[in-house]
Amino acid sequence: MENLVARIGECVERGKVNKSSPYPNDMQGQEGTDELTRQALDAGVGPDEILQACNDGMKRIGDRFSRNEVFVPELLMSAKAMNAVMAHLKPYFQTGTVKAKGRFVIGTVAGDLHDIGKNLVAMVVEGNGWEVVDLGVDVKPVRFVDAVKQNPGCTVGLSALLTTTMVNMSKTVSEIKAQFPGTKVIVGGAPLSQKAADKMGADGYAPNPQGVVAFLDGGVQK
Amino acid sequence: MTLHETEIEKDVFEVAIEFGDLPLDRTEIELTLGYSEGDIPVHFSGMIDEAVEQLPKRCNIRAGYRILDAHRPDGRVDGLVVGGTFFKLDKIVTGQIKKSARAALFVATIGPSMEEWSRKLLKGDEPALGYIADVAASAAAETVTNLLHDHVGEKMRSQGLNITNRYSPGYCNWSVSEQHLLFSLLPKNFCGVTLSESALMHPMKSVSGIIGIGADVKWKDYICDRCGVKDCTYRATRRKESLNSKP
Repeated sequence: MENLVARIGECVERGKVNKSSPYPNDMQGQEGTDELTRQALDAGVGPDEILQACNDGMKRIGDRFSRNEVFVPELLMSAKAMNAVMAHLKPYFQTGTVKAKGRFVIGTVAGDLHDIGKNLVAMVVEGNGWEVVDLGVDVKPVRFVDAVKQNPGCTVGLSALLTTTMVNMSKTVSEIKAQFPGTKVIVGGAPLSQKAADKMGADGYAPNPQGVVAFLDGGVQK
Repeated sequence: MTLHETEIEKDVFEVAIEFGDLPLDRTEIELTLGYSEGDIPVHFSGMIDEAVEQLPKRCNIRAGYRILDAHRPDGRVDGLVVGGTFFKLDKIVTGQIKKSARAALFVATIGPSMEEWSRKLLKGDEPALGYIADVAASAAAETVTNLLHDHVGEKMRSQGLNITNRYSPGYCNWSVSEQHLLFSLLPKNFCGVTLSESALMHPMKSVSGIIGIGADVKWKDYICDRCGVKDCTYRATRRKESLNSKP
């Protein structure tokens, strides 16, 4: 049983979805997260234990991504393997047997249409047990404020790629903080830095998806 | 390479670029993805093949430019007047194009089909392929823009003039909102590209910008060294290219 759970974590890390998936090359023909999760649940393994194994797998691939040992395609394959697990665990979330760690509202700020980084963060955060509300791209401050209203207690993630949309990001942080001073906001994207995040009054900055997870799992402390 | 152009209005040209004209570089796509040359896993290499295969079917290339008079207002170091409109630019960019007597405002696009395909894959069962398709589409759009840039350069050289590097709103601290000014100087729906209220282009895989023209301007290599944005995809790609080119 322990072996089964460990294998699910390994498959998440390696991005192995199911037996017919040709990725990764050295695991061809082996079972993936899809089959192993079904087997684990049938064998009586608790969904929490499976979720923890997935989180550990996502953390390992996220750490390798942070060290530039793997890149976005590998991370996306892991997210896909994780999604296969989540499809099996969905009924447990719906019945409340498994609870999401919290709610994370994310979007690319107004004036910016770049969504790859934002999507990647959303997938990794979701894979780590958080419920994600994705507002999309070119999101005006008022839409973020409305989303906070509709999702009390959520944490907000703002993404930008263009240097010039940092102005809109700063405005978004201010508007959220003006109406919901207790709401934590984390920012990220190519032109950002810790210094820029501090300057705009954000609670956190993450240079990669794993940094967002660390921020969220760390109790959303500054 | 000589490209054919049509003057659609006075000093406004649309340039005919076929997909077969594009010197698409696979290695460039691998480097943008993050892999050093030859290090890409075979699975993702296959995905690049799949994305590149789609490009000729999905690219609807259009590119064009308008030539306008330009000058730097006396004593100012923060921009350039083009066609009577002041563009507020970063000091570094102004420094590069301040000697321009004319400027080419340009737009280049590969159309919407690649981005639609990429988005569908990203939201569906093939996110890695969707991401790689997006990177391949960006590479194609940049390559189209390179050809357009070269074309403008060749044309100006034939008139005894030089050109500068190109600069785009949203980059090098040039506010993306100035897209509205730039597009106001071009014909409506020029090359099929439109702007959103937030000054973003549709189709997304489009590039717009300015190229300085004059007897005293220069093209500069290593422009990244002058830019303050250190954590940029293009800078990272250039760095990897430079490392790969070392013996």
